Amino acid sequence: MSRVGLGSLLTDKLPPQAGIVIVGAGIAGLAFARELVARGVHDIVVVDRGYPGGGATGRNVARIRAMQLTEELTHVALACQAKYDRMGEELGFNVLFYRLGYAWVLYETDEVERMRAIVEMHHRIGVASRLLSPDDTLRHMPILRGGDPVAGAVLNDDAIVHHDAVVWAHLEHLATHAPSTVRIVPDTTVTAIARGDAGVEAVETSRGRIETRAVLNGAGGWSSTLNAMASVSAPNRPLRREVLVTAPLRRSIEAAITFYRPNEGWFNQTLRGEIVMGVVDPEERPGVNQRSSWEFLRRTAALMTRKAPALADVAVIRQWAGMYDVSPDHQPLVGPTAQLDGWWQANGWSGRGMLLGPYLTELLAERFTTGRTPPRLAAFDPDRFAPDEAPEEASGDYYARYRRQEPPPSVVEPLSGR
Amino acid sequence: MTARRIAPAERTVRFTFDGRAFEGVEGESLAVALLAADRVVLSRSFRFHRPRGLMCSTGGCGWCECEVDGVPSVRSCRVPVREGLVARGEHAWPSVEHDLLSGVGWFSRWIPPTFYHHRFLRPRSLRKRYLDVLRRFGGRGRLTIAGRAGAPPGRRTQRLDSDVLVVGGGPAGVAAATRAAEAGSTIILIEADRSVEPLAGVQVLADVAAVGWYDGMVAALGDDAAYEITAGTVIAATGSYDRVPLVPGADRPGVVAARLVTDLIARHGVLPGRRVLLVGEGPDVAAVAERLEEAGSGVVHGPIPTAALVAVHGRRRVTGAVIVAGGRQQRIAVDLVVFGDRSPNLDFVLAAGAAIERRGDTLVPVLDAVGRTTVPSLSVVGSATGRSGASTSAGSGPAPADAHDDAMVCFCEDVRAHEVRAELAAGYTNPELVKRRTGALTGPCQGKSCLQAFACVAGTESVPTARPPLRPVRLGDLVPPP
Repeated sequence: MSRVGLGSLLTDKLPPQAGIVIVGAGIAGLAFARELVARGVHDIVVVDRGYPGGGATGRNVARIRAMQLTEELTHVALACQAKYDRMGEELGFNVLFYRLGYAWVLYETDEVERMRAIVEMHHRIGVASRLLSPDDTLRHMPILRGGDPVAGAVLNDDAIVHHDAVVWAHLEHLATHAPSTVRIVPDTTVTAIARGDAGVEAVETSRGRIETRAVLNGAGGWSSTLNAMASVSAPNRPLRREVLVTAPLRRSIEAAITFYRPNEGWFNQTLRGEIVMGVVDPEERPGVNQRSSWEFLRRTAALMTRKAPALADVAVIRQWAGMYDVSPDHQPLVGPTAQLDGWWQANGWSGRGMLLGPYLTELLAERFTTGRTPPRLAAFDPDRFAPDEAPEEASGDYYARYRRQEPPPSVVEPLSGR
Repeated sequence: MTARRIAPAERTVRFTFDGRAFEGVEGESLAVALLAADRVVLSRSFRFHRPRGLMCSTGGCGWCECEVDGVPSVRSCRVPVREGLVARGEHAWPSVEHDLLSGVGWFSRWIPPTFYHHRFLRPRSLRKRYLDVLRRFGGRGRLTIAGRAGAPPGRRTQRLDSDVLVVGGGPAGVAAATRAAEAGSTIILIEADRSVEPLAGVQVLADVAAVGWYDGMVAALGDDAAYEITAGTVIAATGSYDRVPLVPGADRPGVVAARLVTDLIARHGVLPGRRVLLVGEGPDVAAVAERLEEAGSGVVHGPIPTAALVAVHGRRRVTGAVIVAGGRQQRIAVDLVVFGDRSPNLDFVLAAGAAIERRGDTLVPVLDAVGRTTVPSLSVVGSATGRSGASTSAGSGPAPADAHDDAMVCFCEDVRAHEVRAELAAGYTNPELVKRRTGALTGPCQGKSCLQAFACVAGTESVPTARPPLRPVRLGDLVPPP
């Protein structure tokens, strides 16, 4: 039961023109719309091929993690987490920001040494992560008892949110605060981009043409398709990720757990008690694909019951798939591109869209309205790649890549988003 | 609902439920054994702790889930009762029979599915605390962690290929398999529950349950193997689900499917009630009426049309019903409401992404003249088509717009009609958004017992995307061999 309601925010009538057209009503598009409204921008139209939050925004597990592998990204992630911490009050809608705790669980002793340096870095910049001994790891995360012997864990007081609530919070905020300045047109597929000498001229859609001088590509897994329509080159590749969820159980797992050996896998328990989990397929090939697979179920069962044998008893009730939009350095593309006037990117999130989206689109709105690039945004310049650069291993093992590249390069933050 | 045995109980076994000792009969399920002992409340619903008992005949609903020998949320209608079995009710305090937490139901009007999104923001210092408390109210089953070591042994993978795969060994499935065998095709038939006689020219896999349709490959689990079956044609002979009347109170223990009652009397010698109301038309209801008469049940009202049922009364069990008779509403004292409506099992149709259409108040698969869906390799036969006469409901339920505001649409999540309507009125009109906002269709039954009611009340012909697995599957049962 909505207290506010969406009023006429969602419509099936596409306006003939707009100040800016945002493609994608996911976290990037909705958060950007909200930030533009806060800065007095009018005449915003958001189009989406399905319904708001129907892509990766509604398919992820919304871990809001401040601790990252590199200093630069940890700084940004701290700001992102703080933004979520404020989101409830700012939007008048509780998105269930909850500090569940987050742990990288380690199974090899050389990993422990590697993590020791990272924990020191965290402490330097104000993240109070802790390196746990094997005993303390099992004490804090009893679910791992009886499983593969652990070498330790890095634990931090990180959070989860309710991903759908983040979408609704933005929708209801826009419906209340911008009833006449924002229109969201769902079930609308972009078919072509008209460009002229001066830049973007219009967006052609399944519902007709809309004239505009500015377009934000917030299309997630479909961003490369959209960039291609505008003849804008960007190296993003869509990559499937799968998730399963169990019947709700009483509180039995503390901390959101991630491990990287032998494959990347992760699980955590939601506030309702369901356990969400997944094991990544290192052979996954790039492409738009939201189909669930049987192989995922078996792969996940095999690895999870090795790491946490008690999970053998849980009942899987649903599985689904969503898409990462992966860039070569696993960092998003956020900003205007020099390739086409009026073309703005907010994509390539590489699995971190929920975390980074609200904060980086705030910086992007700053850039959009003032023309000045906030210092933190510079690292995400969409034109930072060579013209023919492609993700060298879009489906690869990010952590392996990180290990190979040691010492950690300043920009690359190779862990995936969870 | 006042159940008792009418046949002498032989070959008894002893088990416990919530610490109390019970006797059951070898060969019957835990749920039936508890019912025979007049223990009718088996579980509590997720949100409002409403009492639930044995209702359906298919294993589809999840109302009978309890902890069995330490394993959480097991459908007790699918567990053979055995000596020494230890079962517990879940999600209740102190017990499922007397659950003080059900008091939250008194405030259900003021607790919409999204209530916490509009509360618990102030004071800031208590925000985490609020959610800690909320978290206590979540959850259901208990996970046993102590005493575990290593992964389970795993099931080998068996890849099979045939011209035809028939899913379901009921009359329609057997007929389809026999026909195909006569035409000289290679045929596999899988059946999860019932026993199937050997069929000439058909490879019958008994006790093998389909898990999902994955781009045409049907995955299934048996006791010692996981099957990956490809076939030129998949024939879904998956039957129908029992369709609970869309009226307030229809989730009380004592509202049961006609097929189940027939089975209880004829196979188990258990008479589940004394004063009975029959609801609906068709052979299922006629069969129950006959059995009740044979068994010498006391009072039998009806059968009345489903549309003439207005409400069901009672707290822990049914005590009465309101019906329309002679143009006037009247209340009658009954302890068992038996309904005969069913709806086609759309599991495979939706999983394959084949088209559906509405007929009356029922969604059915779009089929061509030979029973093919819009996915050419998938056909549907029998009651899963929704076209086999009166055994499935078509237009017999209340008109969608007429469903009472308090009628329960989704039982796993306790979503009532007015809550679905509130979301539509607030502008969340896409069925996917209604699903996410209300939680309807997201519980352990994954829409098996509520999809039709959801579509009726939401006034939609498109339903949210179906996701595998078709039934809950234990993670340990999916493990491949090391």
